[in-house]
Amino acid sequence: LFPGVRQAQWLTKTKLVEGLPPAVQGIVDNPALGLQELEERAKHAVSHARLWDTAQVAPRREQYCPVLFENLIHICRLMSGKYPSLSKRMLARNCRIAATWERESILLQVRGLSGILMNSMTPIPPVASKEEVLATKEHVLETFYPIAPTIDLQEVNVYKELNDTGQCFGDGYPYSHPHTLFFLESANVRTNRFRPEQLRAKMLMFAFGNALAKAKALHGDDPKVLEQPVVVQSIGTDGQLFQFMVFQLNTTDLVSNDGVKNLVWIDSDQNLYEKAQCVPEVKKRVVTKPAGISGFQPDTFKKFLALYLHGTV
Amino acid sequence: MAALGARRLLRPGQRWFSETVPGVPSPPASPLYPPLAASITAKSKAAKSRRLQRFNQRVHAAATVEEKLRLYGKLQRPKYMVYPQTFALNADRWYRSFTKTVLVPGMPPRAAAAKSPVAATGTTPEAGRAPEPGAQALGAAEVPQAAKTLEPAAGAAPYLDMGELRSLACDALLQESFYQNKKRPFLYRDQDHTPGPFLTQLVSTLAAFLSSRNPLLAASSLDLNPEVNYYWHHGEEVVVHGHRKGRVDPVRFQIDDNPHLQIRVPKQLPEVVPLESDLGDVPVIDHKPSKLPLFKKQYENKVFIGSKVADPCCYGHTQFHLLPDKLKRERFIRERLEDQIEVVYRSNGIASLFAWTAAQAMYQGFWSEADVTRPFVSQAVVTDGKYFAFFCYQLNTLALTAETIKNNPRKNICWGTDSKPLYDVVEDGSVKGFNDEVLLQLVRFLLNRPKEL
Repeated sequence: LFPGVRQAQWLTKTKLVEGLPPAVQGIVDNPALGLQELEERAKHAVSHARLWDTAQVAPRREQYCPVLFENLIHICRLMSGKYPSLSKRMLARNCRIAATWERESILLQVRGLSGILMNSMTPIPPVASKEEVLATKEHVLETFYPIAPTIDLQEVNVYKELNDTGQCFGDGYPYSHPHTLFFLESANVRTNRFRPEQLRAKMLMFAFGNALAKAKALHGDDPKVLEQPVVVQSIGTDGQLFQFMVFQLNTTDLVSNDGVKNLVWIDSDQNLYEKAQCVPEVKKRVVTKPAGISGFQPDTFKKFLALYLHGTV
Repeated sequence: MAALGARRLLRPGQRWFSETVPGVPSPPASPLYPPLAASITAKSKAAKSRRLQRFNQRVHAAATVEEKLRLYGKLQRPKYMVYPQTFALNADRWYRSFTKTVLVPGMPPRAAAAKSPVAATGTTPEAGRAPEPGAQALGAAEVPQAAKTLEPAAGAAPYLDMGELRSLACDALLQESFYQNKKRPFLYRDQDHTPGPFLTQLVSTLAAFLSSRNPLLAASSLDLNPEVNYYWHHGEEVVVHGHRKGRVDPVRFQIDDNPHLQIRVPKQLPEVVPLESDLGDVPVIDHKPSKLPLFKKQYENKVFIGSKVADPCCYGHTQFHLLPDKLKRERFIRERLEDQIEVVYRSNGIASLFAWTAAQAMYQGFWSEADVTRPFVSQAVVTDGKYFAFFCYQLNTLALTAETIKNNPRKNICWGTDSKPLYDVVEDGSVKGFNDEVLLQLVRFLLNRPKEL
């Protein structure tokens, strides 16, 4: 799936914007949040996941990737002491997602386990202003002639066009708005893991699927331009590299190639730390690399936290 | 007769060989030879005790805690594997005798008194405190699932809002059991399907909610499915068969535990009762441990609290244990062993907490020859998804080996409750028969903190 994100863009009629949206960037830069003290805790979280968690010498990726994620989420959740509305969130693991749409007479469907989903009671406010949304009309989706855009997609006979957020939140489920999706690439063998580009494409497809299902649940099945765009965030990691994404669904009219497009902001390949040395490296009786985490980047954690807090701050 | 004659010639006080003048005390000479010590390699009791002393000195003199732990568990011999979650009959009596623990029913009195009072529904707030009943009551009343009567949660800031906590618990329960579309549970893995995720959700949301009141929680570390191990000696036995037959060996035990969830904190919980208190008797069991049944295996002697020594969160706060499908209540009732249901909870609480507190103490450098100077306190909640039992453990002594236990009056203490249900049944999107007491006890556990904070 070589032009992964570009293909996903065409399939979901989305315009790509590099970097995080200004609303999220504002949270990152906001000094009132006290993100400095959290750096120490984030460093401990990384050390715990990568170095201290196991009775053996070094944990494998299958172990440290989920542990790192849990530790970071734990730190983020503890912020609900300061922002009580954060307790209106619920994590759901192993949720299944299914969404269908038509794209220039090709029926597409997204199905599968979408990792870990965080739901909240209140939706995220739209990130892009109305002008920006209208401006996407001018944007032309790039096509990959002569490669058909549905290359590498599995063709399947679909008997039931399913559209639900997979959880089938029965009526009255209070946490009905998908907030953030988390993808953990934790396979030990490198070939079983997604490459960063493919991971971003996967994140985009699933975020789109969740947003579409939610939009259809809210506004019905007719394709139209949404008055209230639906925003879904997505974070993917393999334990060291983080990909951040904010997706805004502006329209469910996906059949035609023109008109208002959806928007996605992607911040890719953010390293949380450079190297985690479990045992000090010793060359000729001299310690060249001491044990510990080197090259810790607090900004990546700040972005993680900002995406978590987005919508309530 | 020649000897008799020779003796008569000697005056008393005179030596036979030397030429010293009698009456003058000999000058104090520095000993010409080093003091007599037993051999190190001989097959004698004195040699064995000398080897043991040398080993003890080596461990005492170890520079770092990791080195101490490595030396402590260096010698591998067959040892009894003690399982905290066991179906053995009356296992908690045996475990108490292995760990020298006194079981006190009910919760420690300190836990009830010192907590900030929880707003009982309907009590009027004290004069002078600006109550915020409006926002809280609306928030509590809007939640549709919980089938509680819609009492307005009268709460001012220091008071705990029971309605909010109840709604959090009910939301977690309903999400896992009702709202989320899950496949059918795997065979005999019912506990992973619903109660496991429910417990994780409940604890994580409650801990986050209460972190504003308890700064210790705000600095805590949450482990999912950690590993807790401890290795110790207690008592003596004679080796039965093999090339070491006939020798007297300490009885070795190892606990390898996997709690469902665990909270570790950087500061220690305060002691419940003073170090030397005596609150009861430790059961004495005359049989060999293998009669429990308990089986021996030889493998690595691990001491582990959930993370390595370098972690700053080296003290334990609360553990959460989920009972597996094999030990569910219906099975005991079917086999007419109703009294063993509580035994399961108790043995799990005692064994797991002993292992955790003792491993914490070893991380601080104490061991059986260097006994703890301050008590180590930890808490645990044992549940099978619906019934909750609460335990609080205070470790007063690590000296359980045959030599050190002789003059040791201290005993470890475990407070424990019986298992109570949190709710009756979940149907149609609502929770029926929610029990506030259990939630309150859980909240008290989570709010436990040292007095300075």
